[in-house]
Amino acid sequence: MGLQYTLRRVATAIFTIVLIVLLNFLLFRAMPGSPERILLGRMPGVTPEILQQTRERWGLDRPLFPDQFVAYVASTAQGDLGFSYSARGRPVTDVLLQRLGPTLLLFGLGEVFAIVMGLALGAYSGWKRGGVVDYVGNGVSLVLYSTPYFLLGMGLLLVFATGLGWFPTFGMSTAGATYASLVDRLVDYGAHFVLPLATVALGLIGQYAILMRSSVIETLGEDYVTTARAMGFRDGRVLRHHALPNAMLPTVTLVAINLGYVVAGAITVEVVFNWPGLGTLTVDALSSRDYPVLQGVFLLLSVAVVFANLAADLIYGVLDPRVRT
Amino acid sequence: MLQPPRIRAVRSIAVLALVGGLLLPAAAPAAAADPLILRVGTDQKLETLNPWHSVTVADYEVFQLQYDLLVSFGQNLEPSPGFADSWESSDDAMTHTFHIREGMKWSDGEPATCEDARWTYQFVLDVVASETGYVGSGYLEPYLTNTGAKTVTCSDANTLVVETEFPTTLLTQAYVPILPKHIWSKYTQEQIGDAEAEGFFVNEPPVVGSGPYVAVEWEPGQFIRMARNDNYWGKPGAPDEVIFQTFAGSDTMVQALKSGAVDYIRGISADLWDALAGEPDIATVEGFSNGYSYLSWNTKGNSEGYNGSTSALSDVAFRDALGYALDLDKLVDATLAGHGVAGDSQVPPYHAKWYVKPADRRTFDLAEADRRLTAAGYTRNAAGNRVDKDGKEINLRLTWPDSEEEMATNAQFIQGWFKELGITVDAYVTEEGKLLSDLVGPGLDGTADWDFYMWGWVGDPDPMSLLSFFTSFQIDNLNDSFYANPRYDELFELQQRATDEAQRHAYIEEMQEIFYRDSPYHVLYYDNVLDAYRTDKFVGWTNQPPEGGTPIFGYGYPGYLALIDAASVTPEPTAAPTEAPTASEGAATPAPSADGGPASGGDNTTILLLAAVVAIVTVVVIGLLLSRRRGAGPVEDE
Repeated sequence: MGLQYTLRRVATAIFTIVLIVLLNFLLFRAMPGSPERILLGRMPGVTPEILQQTRERWGLDRPLFPDQFVAYVASTAQGDLGFSYSARGRPVTDVLLQRLGPTLLLFGLGEVFAIVMGLALGAYSGWKRGGVVDYVGNGVSLVLYSTPYFLLGMGLLLVFATGLGWFPTFGMSTAGATYASLVDRLVDYGAHFVLPLATVALGLIGQYAILMRSSVIETLGEDYVTTARAMGFRDGRVLRHHALPNAMLPTVTLVAINLGYVVAGAITVEVVFNWPGLGTLTVDALSSRDYPVLQGVFLLLSVAVVFANLAADLIYGVLDPRVRT
Repeated sequence: MLQPPRIRAVRSIAVLALVGGLLLPAAAPAAAADPLILRVGTDQKLETLNPWHSVTVADYEVFQLQYDLLVSFGQNLEPSPGFADSWESSDDAMTHTFHIREGMKWSDGEPATCEDARWTYQFVLDVVASETGYVGSGYLEPYLTNTGAKTVTCSDANTLVVETEFPTTLLTQAYVPILPKHIWSKYTQEQIGDAEAEGFFVNEPPVVGSGPYVAVEWEPGQFIRMARNDNYWGKPGAPDEVIFQTFAGSDTMVQALKSGAVDYIRGISADLWDALAGEPDIATVEGFSNGYSYLSWNTKGNSEGYNGSTSALSDVAFRDALGYALDLDKLVDATLAGHGVAGDSQVPPYHAKWYVKPADRRTFDLAEADRRLTAAGYTRNAAGNRVDKDGKEINLRLTWPDSEEEMATNAQFIQGWFKELGITVDAYVTEEGKLLSDLVGPGLDGTADWDFYMWGWVGDPDPMSLLSFFTSFQIDNLNDSFYANPRYDELFELQQRATDEAQRHAYIEEMQEIFYRDSPYHVLYYDNVLDAYRTDKFVGWTNQPPEGGTPIFGYGYPGYLALIDAASVTPEPTAAPTEAPTASEGAATPAPSADGGPASGGDNTTILLLAAVVAIVTVVVIGLLLSRRRGAGPVEDE
């Protein structure tokens, strides 16, 4: 892969992040209402002195540019995103980190499942176009693709948790449980994992399968595939070595785009299963108007998307020599 | 290498079985010696364990379980023993003596004495006298300052004496948790009161308290686990532990109740609550709210410094007439799905002892509203629009905070009704922070640029705070309607100092009359609280107060101690809930260690699992790359 290509991609990513930081600053300053009022809420006994004190201590009495902006950039660069309003005394970075793990886990694993199963299903459907698997698989994929996470999750929850009682209703583990051994702990976590993971994976499988299927079908019409067949290669070989590598290209884009959202999660899945991740944190921060946390979430999510796109560009460079220049 | 299909099939089955075996074994890691846990679901999360910072319902519920008030609240909201065992006041009701229980201990084994109570009350007095003037969220100090508390002393190790500036009966209602001095006195006022201060006192678990349960584990935003305090002075509660679980969505919370994953849920929406009726082993409870939703008027109108759109706003006759144009029953139906009561007084009916229904309560009657407006000098012009006394058409602005979505429904109706009267209403939602700054009057450098708006208040066991919002001394503070009436102010002070209940009732009745007549607010409705609980794990659920209360989320903690392990009342599981309060006394299982216990360390598991995921992904990626290499090798594609 060309060094120049890589450098150009990295430079673009850095530039985008700088823009995001700037936008993040402006966006939250453009919000209506005075921040000191939000800070103090409906507190009894707010005097002009208290208002003034609050302004001074948060630096709100200084001009937006350059003072406040410079302070913001400097602290963001050091990883200091301020304090959460609602989680009193806890830095935003702590709050975010606590929620990042569960989201990465759920959506990371969900992506892996969906990619493996979706691509396999799509490739097979495309290869055996018009067959039973294609017919059923494509139908199911379309249904799954068009079902909102919320509906899918609620359905699974109603049937398998409340109805059959096979799996727990919410959370990542049983709150306050004492485990006799590591196995017990893993079993508890595993049981909590099944439904949310199934929701995420099922929701994603559809798009991968559909894209992969059409991509394979398109590739199969190419001359080089016909040539390969004419050369007498076995079907499996033609698919794996000639059709699939080219059919993978659009899928890589989709995977990369989706990976950006691994961090964002699907807020609705997390809400349905009360999963302690960034999605529920966002909902919570919105309802308690915890602006510093919201600002942190925005920054984290947008940077994650930028990185995912950078990764996509770089992988594309590896897979497809034509884009390297 | 080509494999026979059978081997491949066997291998796939083995993988499936492995995955299944790892994941399938169902929910609870149950064992015989499991503690008996009361699990409570709320849609509001616990934000803090430092009681001075309490804002949410969960904050208050947790602090009042782990700390005693000096005097607590009984099942009928009557004063009952808390940190103090008994109490009396002097004849002039200005010297108040509290007898602290002898031999009482904090959960860490340190003696709990008068000195702890004195330190806590003195802390409040010092805070109020300090330059900052408040601590944390600023909600608790008024409970003490409202009583006129002046000095706090210990005449001996178990006797607290509080002197007040004026006669009062309200010290038994002071909602101030008594804190262990040996823990809290290590911190400065700033470290206790200011969440961003260096060395802020978070009060991490295990918390040292004197109440029946103390916090032992806290996953912020998820749950708080409280274990039984073995040093609690009273009869131990039946649950070994109480866990408050936060839910991001009401639907999931209801499912959790149905599946038995939680035992009590608080604050569900009307449709979900209605659907729970008739579910087996589930009881629903509708509690009166100790609060109300209101429509507040900018009663200063467009006088100097205020920016209401018309002078009519400051005219009692104008506001009174519009009271006839509000169909409050309609709002209860449409906005609350019927789960509420049309409003009138600033003292909600929850305060059965103090609430007085207005004698000449307004009824919805647009013709009457029209007649009264015209009689007061607000006639219609040729275009049919109502004009004020300056000859200007009346166009009112109505707003509400974005945190109260359901107010939009109210606004639509109000718009329609007022339109019939020739008054156009421009209705829009305002971001809460902006609304707070918009409301402010010239006394706080604000412009009071608004006409009328909707929000809500929540009260205390005593109606004092709800009464105070209409006194002139609360202007530029909690009196957002700028209403001022010397007689109302006078009555407020009189009732504050009245030691005779009948006398106080007379004062409060007159205050309610004045409020209703002058209409600085139109109280829209008293919204009910909708809770539900399971009856198969615990019995003995007792409402506080019995009429219109809920079993928990009240005042103090009697509801928790009234619970009985359902398994201990074997023969008749449907026994009357309030009977047999001693059934579980001997059967209580030992409390788990109060020091965090073996359950923590969830983060490690997350990291382990994450590492596993990363490993899997890496293997898959390497595999893909390798297969590409292999593919590219022997076969020359082009």
